[in-house]
Amino acid sequence: MQRHFDRDLDSLKENLARMGSLVDDQLDASCRSLFSGNIDLATVVIDGDAAINEMDNRIEKQCQSLLALNQPVAVDLRLLMAILKINRDLERMGDIAVNIAERTAALAPHREFVRSTRLEEMASIALIMVREALDAFINTYPPLATRVLESDDIVDTLNRNVFYRMVRAMQNDHRLIEACSHILILSRHLERLADHATNIAEDVIFLVEAKVVKHQTSIRPTGVTGE
Amino acid sequence: MTTDAITKIETDGLNLFYGEKKALDAISIAMPEHQVTALIGPSGCGKSTFLRSLNRMNDLIAGVRIDGNVFIDGTNIYLKNVDVVELRKHVGMIFQKSNPFPKSIYENVAYGPRINGESNKKALDDLVETSLQRAALWDEVKDDLKKSALALSGGQQQRLCIARALAVNPDILLMDEPASALDPIATAKIEELIYELKVNYTIVIVTHNMQQAARVSDYTAFFYLGQLIEFGETKKMFTTPEVKQTEDYITGRFG
Repeated sequence: MQRHFDRDLDSLKENLARMGSLVDDQLDASCRSLFSGNIDLATVVIDGDAAINEMDNRIEKQCQSLLALNQPVAVDLRLLMAILKINRDLERMGDIAVNIAERTAALAPHREFVRSTRLEEMASIALIMVREALDAFINTYPPLATRVLESDDIVDTLNRNVFYRMVRAMQNDHRLIEACSHILILSRHLERLADHATNIAEDVIFLVEAKVVKHQTSIRPTGVTGE
Repeated sequence: MTTDAITKIETDGLNLFYGEKKALDAISIAMPEHQVTALIGPSGCGKSTFLRSLNRMNDLIAGVRIDGNVFIDGTNIYLKNVDVVELRKHVGMIFQKSNPFPKSIYENVAYGPRINGESNKKALDDLVETSLQRAALWDEVKDDLKKSALALSGGQQQRLCIARALAVNPDILLMDEPASALDPIATAKIEELIYELKVNYTIVIVTHNMQQAARVSDYTAFFYLGQLIEFGETKKMFTTPEVKQTEDYITGRFG
């Protein structure tokens, strides 16, 4: 029996996928603006955040109605819980894109120095994690989510690497203090970005397998292997 | 759901007395066409009385006095020249307990049209099939239309009663707790059916089950002690009701 509730859930899932795609575009553009020093592109990113905030509100409202009107249980309830949390993560990721874009102008004169750090590598891994986490949700495919969880350690290591390098750079040349401070904050943002992708991956596993894998660094879902 | 929907049923200052007791107190409400309006509230709040006043079922009860107006498609159904039999053709009713006639499935559905003068076999066959299809029962009974209606399950009997109501081609369906005697699966079928029927009919449903009201209706009216406390879009009523009493009732704090 097809339930009209299913049609409402499909529409909600579509909106979340749309939100994911908006955020992905924003992150991609913000990183391109940063690493190429393209201030115009950075402005586009900053202006683009309003659309994400609007979608955030819309999805939250849809979830509220579906919860209030349908009293979902089991997989339906897990789906709504996952969507609420993923939506929040996506909105925060949108804010990170804006923050990256806002630092483009300050770092534009230091492009070569920025490139000498491993920030770009971090950004590229974090962006892949975001895309894979979203794909794992859209295709309800936990193996992809597991791969995202595994990538988080790489980003954490890179974050520490950037930190030590920036400390050393500042010790060696105080003229780089401002640029290094921006890079430290960016590194922290990219690390958070990877954390948000990890949260989404954990929500996908919770949704599909009804298992809580967050806060259990050594525990990974059984029966699920990376590709 | 649109705010500019056409009003199908409108009551204006409707009062109803059982003897000295005032059971409905100045109810004014406008129910939109092709939407499901749920009437909720604790026992004795007047919701069933209100429902029955929409096709003048209360006329049959001794000692009932009604004032105020009930308009259907803009016509006051309490005017003296209104033919009540004709009115009830347009405003069908489904009760809590399914009440099929002790006849075959076919005869149950064909009964209304026959009474209304339809005698053409082909026309009756078509009406029976269409009505059973609209009531989502056709696939389950099409090979056995001669079977006694009483041999059907409770959920099927209720859908048969819906088919019987549809056979006389109404445009409003009043439902008085249509699923309260059914198991959850049969209830879910009735709820999905209500959702589908609203494309062609305007539906008013009384339910004790607030979750059911939330699931099936577009608009909700909350009654308490014979008064209409709040009426609005179900989505709004169940997320951000305006009146404290409504919030207390739907969250189970009283009633």
